[in-house]
Amino acid sequence: MDIPSSLAIVALAALIHASFQLSVSVLTLLSGHAIGAKKAKSRIFRLTTSYVIGAGVMTMLALSFIALLFIHIFGNSVPLLVWAIVCGLVLGIGIAVWLFYFRRGKGTSLWISRSFARHLSDRSKATHHSVESFSLGLTSVVSELVFILPSMAVTALVLVQLEGVWQLAGIGIYTLISLLGLLIVWAMVGGGHSISKIQKWRETNKRFLQFSAGSALIVLGIYVYVTKIVTDIAGMM
Amino acid sequence: MNMGGAIDIVKRGGKRPSESFIREKLHASVVAACLSAGAPTGHAETIAKAVTETVIQWLETRPEVTSHDIRLVASRHLRVHHPDAAYVYEHHRVTL
Repeated sequence: MDIPSSLAIVALAALIHASFQLSVSVLTLLSGHAIGAKKAKSRIFRLTTSYVIGAGVMTMLALSFIALLFIHIFGNSVPLLVWAIVCGLVLGIGIAVWLFYFRRGKGTSLWISRSFARHLSDRSKATHHSVESFSLGLTSVVSELVFILPSMAVTALVLVQLEGVWQLAGIGIYTLISLLGLLIVWAMVGGGHSISKIQKWRETNKRFLQFSAGSALIVLGIYVYVTKIVTDIAGMM
Repeated sequence: MNMGGAIDIVKRGGKRPSESFIREKLHASVVAACLSAGAPTGHAETIAKAVTETVIQWLETRPEVTSHDIRLVASRHLRVHHPDAAYVYEHHRVTL
């Protein structure tokens, strides 16, 4: 797989990551509580910025860890069987996202454990300092690991084949693109947009977001399967 | 006039013990919803005062209500004053 194709896969996987909504939900809750508690704009800016940085750091760490795990186990040449398993995981989670991502009913509730959702919600209300906000950003990425694991696994598989410099570039590209959703909400909150408008938009478009995230995962799984597994097997014949 | 001290509020799910109605708590939650919806502080305080008064009037004939009832009544009146704030007030539990 050449470098442009590899980076294109990394970018698509990161876009899929960005379309998942748990971190965005926590950020809207955090901003809503901070505004409602009459915190100064500079304090709200620090809280939301720390949150986004926390989410970025955890994304970078998680991706690096998965890539390191692959390198440690398989070296630079990952067996086709592992590629096939990861493609299957991507397709499976894609279909699961189609079916289950948002709960039925009002709001933007996700199919995650209710006790965990309550914990994140309570933490977003109890967050007063930047360092707490930073750790909430770290936790939110861990909480949505079940949804983002396939995109990260594909990215890690693609990156381990590349040279060191491109691996670092790939991790940077993935982290930046995966933060797009958060950065948009962060900029809107900073620009004075009301939380209700942001939340209303999210609720109105939640089925579209669910469909596009699931579809993009399925497209990614099929694309990687064809460009890597089918091409390699055809080359062996 | 009942100032909200003697009314028992049954908490959501019925697992936590009942508590007395606290006017300031309702006022603060409505102010927070208004501010989150982009209302200026003074406007938020005025709306919250009006909504709280209406809820207290509604409570006068009821010795025991659930926190969900209060939320519904407050949200119905808040919608009249500030629909976006009512949206935040109703939906903050179903954001995540």
